[in-house]
Amino acid sequence: MTQQAREVFWLTRIMRIRSGPLEYSRRLWLRLVVAATFLLLYAPIITLMVFSFNNSRRNVVWRGFTWKYYEKAWNNDGLFEAFTNSLTIAFVSTLLSTIIGAMVAVMLWRFRFPGKAAYEGLMALPIVVPEICMGVAMMVFFARIGWPADLPWPLNLSAITIAHIAFSFPFVAIVVRARLAGFNRELEEASHDLGASEWQTFWNVVFPYMKPGLIGGALLAFTLSLDDFVITFFTSGPNTVTFPVKVYSMVRFSVTPEVNAASTVLVLITVVMTAIAMRFNKPQDSA
Amino acid sequence: MDNNQKKAIMASKTRKEEEGSLPMRAKRSFRPTRRNFLTGTGAAIAAISFGPAVSFGAEEKKLNFYNWDTYIGETTLADFKKATGISVKMDLFADNDELLAKLKNGNPGYDVIVPTNDYVERMIKAGMLMELDHAKIPNFKYLEKRFQDAKFDPGRKYSITYMWGTIGVGYRPSKVKETPDSWKYLYDSDEYAGKIALLAEAGTVIGCALQYLGYSFNSTSAEEIAKAADLIIRNKKNIKTFAADNGQDLLASGEVDLTQEWNGDILQVMEEDKDIGFVVPKEGALLWQDCLCIPKGAPHPDNAHAFINFMNEPEIAANNALYIQYATPNAAAKALIAKMKDGKDYLENPAIFPPAAVMAKLEEAVYLGEARAKLIQDAWTKIQAA
Amino acid sequence: MESWRKHPLVFWVFALPGTFWLFVFFLAPLAFIWLMSLGEKRGIVDIDITWTLANYARAFEPVYVKIIWKSVWISALVTLLCLLIAYPVAFAIAFARPRWKPWMLLGVILPFWINMLVRTYALIAVFRTRGYVNFGLEWLYNALWLDKLFGPFEPFTLLYNNFAVVAGIVYVYMPFMVLPLYASIEKLDRSYLEASLDLGASQARTFWKVTWPLTMPGVVSGIILVFIPALGSFLIPDLLGGTNAQMIGNVIARQFKSANDWPFGAALSFLLMYATFGALAIRALMAGRKSSMEV
Repeated sequence: MTQQAREVFWLTRIMRIRSGPLEYSRRLWLRLVVAATFLLLYAPIITLMVFSFNNSRRNVVWRGFTWKYYEKAWNNDGLFEAFTNSLTIAFVSTLLSTIIGAMVAVMLWRFRFPGKAAYEGLMALPIVVPEICMGVAMMVFFARIGWPADLPWPLNLSAITIAHIAFSFPFVAIVVRARLAGFNRELEEASHDLGASEWQTFWNVVFPYMKPGLIGGALLAFTLSLDDFVITFFTSGPNTVTFPVKVYSMVRFSVTPEVNAASTVLVLITVVMTAIAMRFNKPQDSA
Repeated sequence: MDNNQKKAIMASKTRKEEEGSLPMRAKRSFRPTRRNFLTGTGAAIAAISFGPAVSFGAEEKKLNFYNWDTYIGETTLADFKKATGISVKMDLFADNDELLAKLKNGNPGYDVIVPTNDYVERMIKAGMLMELDHAKIPNFKYLEKRFQDAKFDPGRKYSITYMWGTIGVGYRPSKVKETPDSWKYLYDSDEYAGKIALLAEAGTVIGCALQYLGYSFNSTSAEEIAKAADLIIRNKKNIKTFAADNGQDLLASGEVDLTQEWNGDILQVMEEDKDIGFVVPKEGALLWQDCLCIPKGAPHPDNAHAFINFMNEPEIAANNALYIQYATPNAAAKALIAKMKDGKDYLENPAIFPPAAVMAKLEEAVYLGEARAKLIQDAWTKIQAA
Repeated sequence: MESWRKHPLVFWVFALPGTFWLFVFFLAPLAFIWLMSLGEKRGIVDIDITWTLANYARAFEPVYVKIIWKSVWISALVTLLCLLIAYPVAFAIAFARPRWKPWMLLGVILPFWINMLVRTYALIAVFRTRGYVNFGLEWLYNALWLDKLFGPFEPFTLLYNNFAVVAGIVYVYMPFMVLPLYASIEKLDRSYLEASLDLGASQARTFWKVTWPLTMPGVVSGIILVFIPALGSFLIPDLLGGTNAQMIGNVIARQFKSANDWPFGAALSFLLMYATFGALAIRALMAGRKSSMEV
């Protein structure tokens, strides 16, 4: 081994010691990739936020700073109502689809039963179906069974919420199941051996392990519900307009900074809510 | 002229008319769909939740208006509420097909809608519209004579014109050699390659191609439509995009220099950018009318009539038209505008009211049956896939 | 995995809610549409169920086959790009310090919470001829004195072509890839990696022989979560695509909207579903008994 090679060898050893073989987050190239991705993800959004202050009806050229579109968005009752509707639907849909999805995931992970492959195929259908087809299907369905459309708020949102749960819970099931796939079944057996009941085992052993999957799934469900346009569009009526449907009708002609302003507020609310949630629910290192 | 004063007078007038609460109309025979059921349940639930305050025969003071975006004056709805106590919830749709798709399977609760003439006809044929009670719309008399009847709705039994306009070429004068006053520049020329946007509406794009080829916008000949499609396919390499009703934005942002667009859309960007022009091609173009209609199953038909009548008050119609920059069919409103200081800017704007020579070449779209609609759609798929 | 007979009560408790929801609020509505795909249009509104297969036959006309093929191709490309970008990102998040993890996850999902239409319009502002990418490049170009050498900067056409469509779909569906990847990388047993490295395998070898196979479940989930919605997307090709951007989603959307031909639209979407369903079934069969994986 030449002197040079030895030096390189030791240098790399030292560097490994310093950054550790598994501390990938310290690798420069990885950091660069992450930085570039975040730049790509955020550049358009930051543009959007900046242009919410643009003193022009069209967000093409900068024409000076103004708050007026925030004022307009705030005073726009329709936008405000749509905003409330969207959050209500997303909240209920996330809660129910996380519960239902997680149960399906546990069931599929744990049990063998006849026709399981077919069942899994059916479960994947809501993910496979083109959105527009599902939207129309929901519209026709709720029309044919005579689902009442004139209920007082928030019950009038029930049709949309039901549709949202129908397409979100299989996503939750996938995420939770991917997580469960790595679970060491012996832990469960050990728990049984130590005399824990079925329920105790689930709650104290399986559930904590599932938690990251649950959080991931819930975030996904929330996102899907909040972002969904096509299916909501077909199921919504004049009194059940959601934020995306409202925005869609506003931007079809041109994006006014009013929409940008409302979106900016939505992003800020999201960040603040998440920060609060995290404060109350300190992430524990799992697995 | 003092607008507010006039508005107040109008408002009080309308209120008086409204106070003699209109009796509920005899229920029309609906098709046996969920509409019956829904209206029934809806009424029952409304009755429960509002208790004895709602007596039978009177409508709650609400109205659901389904409109295009940027298509109503800033204060019009507030004025209507002031005048009648009815609060309007306005919901927006982006194109006629969306409107049709939404109402096709049963009215989800809209009271007044604004379809374009050929869709009015389509909806009448499909039995989707409620017959208007002209006794409740006395302001109909203010409309110009030519809007008091229509081929697509004989006797105007179902629809009342809201605004009318044309389609043409929006362009950037500093970027073109001469005024693009022919469809040739958009459909059959390399001159502005990559700087052209056409609309994304099959009927309009193919219709204008038909006009360029010397046929009718409403041609039903499979051969002529195929020729028009070939023309567009040949020129596709020069066309940047089929714009989803945002051609005016593409023009304003410099993405394209020529765009096929509705006149009012171009007028709206002209306010911010002086270097934008609008011209109706010499081969002719589309003439359209957007109409106020009441879809069957509307929960508040009386309020809907009151609203349509209100929109035709000369004062209201005038302010509305001045705000949205589209041509009003209301003769009395035009007379009011003529008396205003800068009313000329509106009345003599050739992009709003095309001169007679241009008008002579414009064609109205006609609903020609589902078979023709399929012909157009198939040609459109071919164009897109080519 | 145990037989459901061993604990029938537990099985039913976990199986019922999802199954109920699936059958009543998903399969039943689809059944309506399925019937519609076997029907014929009568007039403007009415559809008669005549058990015809004409709608399906029409879908195999060359014009539609070409569009379907193009959609598959674009979706595959999008999925590959998403995987290439998302894997390192998910990896970095999984191996980041615990304090940073939730924030990085949030960072990935946050853009997703902004309405897709607004984001697409934001993309337009960035990509257009007088947009920020071109402004940035022009600045760089002029800063490097290239304008003195090759003449003034020619802005790139980034919008209204297939590039824009691919970029747009990648942008919109990326989080779908990051989340399952993160979930499966996060649960990797680190001791395997340490063992591999300690035994002298290089980082690259460790990745391909240990990390990649162990995270395969996440990769497969991610591919499914991205590929399928990409295949059915229609708003992005509509807004960002040029004259050739039409995907099968656009054709379907048009049948339900402007073409007003619901039976054909239903048939097309069912073809899409049959195809995907078939692929998933084959996959499930191939994975066979040892399959402990999802979908």
